[in-house]
Amino acid sequence: MSDQEDQTLRVARDMAANAEKMFKAAQLIANTRDEDVAIGTTPKHLVMRRDKVELFHYEPMAEATAKTPVLLAYGLIGRYTMADLQPDRSLVRSLLSKGLDLWLIDWGQPGRTERWLKIDDYVDDYIEAAVDRIAQETGHDKITLLGICEGGVFTTCYAALHPEKVKNLVITITPIDFHADVKDKAAHHGFLNLWTRSLDPDDIDKLVDTYGVLPGEFMSSVFSMMTPMRSLTKYNVDLIDVVDDEAKFMNFLRMEKWLADRPHHPGEAAKQWLKDLYQENRLVDGSFELSGCRVDLKSITAPVLNVFALDDHIIPPDCSRALGAKIGSTDYTEIPLPGGHVGLFVSSKSQGKLSQSIADWLVARDANPGSEA
Amino acid sequence: MSENDKSASVDSDPGLEWAKLWQTMAESSNRMVEAWSGSMAPFMLARLSEKPGGFGDGNELSAAIERMAQGPRLADFWDIDRKMALAFGAWIEMRQRLASYNAVAAAPWPEASKRFYETMSATASGGSPHPEWREAFAKWSEISNEELIRNQRTDGFLQAQKELLQAGLKLRSRQDDVAEAASAMLGLPTRKDFDDVTRQLTELRREVRTLARQIRDQKSEGAR
Repeated sequence: MSDQEDQTLRVARDMAANAEKMFKAAQLIANTRDEDVAIGTTPKHLVMRRDKVELFHYEPMAEATAKTPVLLAYGLIGRYTMADLQPDRSLVRSLLSKGLDLWLIDWGQPGRTERWLKIDDYVDDYIEAAVDRIAQETGHDKITLLGICEGGVFTTCYAALHPEKVKNLVITITPIDFHADVKDKAAHHGFLNLWTRSLDPDDIDKLVDTYGVLPGEFMSSVFSMMTPMRSLTKYNVDLIDVVDDEAKFMNFLRMEKWLADRPHHPGEAAKQWLKDLYQENRLVDGSFELSGCRVDLKSITAPVLNVFALDDHIIPPDCSRALGAKIGSTDYTEIPLPGGHVGLFVSSKSQGKLSQSIADWLVARDANPGSEA
Repeated sequence: MSENDKSASVDSDPGLEWAKLWQTMAESSNRMVEAWSGSMAPFMLARLSEKPGGFGDGNELSAAIERMAQGPRLADFWDIDRKMALAFGAWIEMRQRLASYNAVAAAPWPEASKRFYETMSATASGGSPHPEWREAFAKWSEISNEELIRNQRTDGFLQAQKELLQAGLKLRSRQDDVAEAASAMLGLPTRKDFDDVTRQLTELRREVRTLARQIRDQKSEGAR
């Protein structure tokens, strides 16, 4: 048989095998119900509801190693379930198993009703109310804040505006200097920063005024654009790769479920997020204001842990690193970890590293009674 | 009373005069709507059939509709048609921006294909065996990703995308205007009404919560 014939046969064989796998994938998807794909399952109970925002307390899973309660705050772009995707890939479960007292603020599903909510409301009302409630429930005067992405910006602002209530601040994959992407030489990093700056402020106003929100579907399409080939191959080549392994296939579906559950971003808060922060970079230059008060990062005096992903294409590492030079606290730790924006939380490689870093850092500071009011 | 007297009486009755005037206006309104449907609609459809590519050469039709619809605004009729014409014009403009964007977005594929072909040829000429499909696909994916991302960061791409967004928002906004007018005609609350209510609710809630905090703080100070 000639090389050419051999090559032709091989291509035909591969095509047949792939077609068979695609057929199998289609059958698997058809036979899987939405309730079979469970995410955010770590046991918790509702403590407080304020409008659409809910405060939950997770059930403890181990003997307490750090007594200070930890409030987890995700952003408004996406849901907190990324931190609790499945039992073996869950920051939440992992922190609980290391003896932390974990609370969660869930923003719910904002819609047009929440059009007028500003970041001011999220920081000075919802987070404030949650902190007060946790303090009331636990007897602690100060609590630890753990912010993820946009939630990291909210908790950073809260720590600057209400330092007397914050024992520690932990932020993960959080943008602080929204223009630091220009320092990043990786072409696949920072498109969101570039894209937002390419818009006129008036475009953002019109987008929000027209829809009443920053539509979740719209942000999904921007994120898809940032990984163009991945977006094109997700439902074909990627499926072929996972179809023979049920665990991998279910991981794929859980990730898809999280991606599909992208809420709308409240309108006025979206204007602040995109114009004040992404376009004008006001947080880092000290001109960002919430509830009439300037957010001065120098006012952050609590110990700060800043964790970021070295291959984060959404929040380039330099955007996160900027916090260290801006805060008033002398206890500042940076932990750069391998991985991407979402991978830091859900990939099998990063499991354990993130939670271990956070737990070790918090336990060490909990042992120091000096900072408890 | 003679017939002439009766006629004079009818002509001088203000109520009847108003009814006649109203009937004339209604007929005039109908004629205008018919004229618009009879003249503009075939004109638009004819232009669409002439240039099915979404008026990619320019945007004359949407500009013409814009000029027509931006004419003097009449108080009691014609408004819904004007709004529909504006929405139609925005749709044509959006199609044109979409065509421009698609052209810019498709630009990197030839370069990606060329690079991939060169890579595969170099492998073959080096005497290496043909790679498995997965290996070849990984290379194709890597090269395409690089080219697509490089293109996305160009001013041309960002501008085309911005213009598409602007055109899309204009269309959506004008569709909303039509929907608002239709809701108003049917006596239904509009989206603007909903936004007004939620704005008042949000502001009221802020005031109540600020007061509640002030009372709480005063109480705790008093307790010290």
